[in-house]
Amino acid sequence: MSKLYNPFILADGNKPSCMQMLQLILDGEASSEQQEYFKSHMDKCMPCFKSYSLDMTIKELLKTRCCGDPVPVELIEQIKIQINQNMPS
Amino acid sequence: MEETPKQHYSDTEKNDIFNHEFLPHISSMYNFGYRLTLDRDDAKDLVQDTYLKAYRFIESFQKGTNAKAWLFRILKNSFINDYRKKTKEPSKVDYQEVEAYYNSEDVDRQITPDLRVESLKDMIGDEISNALNSLDVDFRTVIILCDLEGFKYEEMAKILDIPIGTVRSRLHRARNLLKEKLSEYAKSMGYKNTEL
Repeated sequence: MSKLYNPFILADGNKPSCMQMLQLILDGEASSEQQEYFKSHMDKCMPCFKSYSLDMTIKELLKTRCCGDPVPVELIEQIKIQINQNMPS
Repeated sequence: MEETPKQHYSDTEKNDIFNHEFLPHISSMYNFGYRLTLDRDDAKDLVQDTYLKAYRFIESFQKGTNAKAWLFRILKNSFINDYRKKTKEPSKVDYQEVEAYYNSEDVDRQITPDLRVESLKDMIGDEISNALNSLDVDFRTVIILCDLEGFKYEEMAKILDIPIGTVRSRLHRARNLLKEKLSEYAKSMGYKNTEL
């Protein structure tokens, strides 16, 4: 397999670790070039492939299970009352 | 984030910014407050304080810029100054160690217990939420900002007043701790072999 140009390599020449590449992908911080590279890297790197599925699942679960509690109905009203009382313009 | 020159707004403009740029984030703000304090009444107070501060300092905010990040920063600072002091909770974390590890060659070594995607998907109760809540508040915070709220590293760095490199190392450590916790839950659910 031909050696691909690695777009993750830093300006100082250091090559980021698998985990560091994965983190950028997971958090949407990778460029499209880096995403392409990582996709083909996963075909050859089982730990990355496994971690990617697991980390993605956790990220999605966090989003669905830890958000969305209703805001107490009176909170907005209380804030507006406080502003009108304390900060008369 | 704070270096914006002071703006001058009429009362109508202030109310307009408040209602259309600040208030739409109240749900995320309340969740952030709750996840930091782990108490719904404290969360309400924290959110209320934050919005009052935001209104008081509204002229430091430039209309049309990132209101959500600005509000999150105020809330985080209020939490540190007003709430964390009350509990006198000392930071249990050696951040230099966290960063040194992140930048070392050991970082790819599998230190978290093996955990299966399937066992995670079977967690239909509060396990994920409890695992998040069990983390030290500074680790919890980076996960909330990144995974729950979708902030970019640069925004997180500004909200938390830390360098981007620290955001990344802290996030890495936080996720490993979360996985350890989830792995404990998986074992208690009867997943004996937790290898993927």
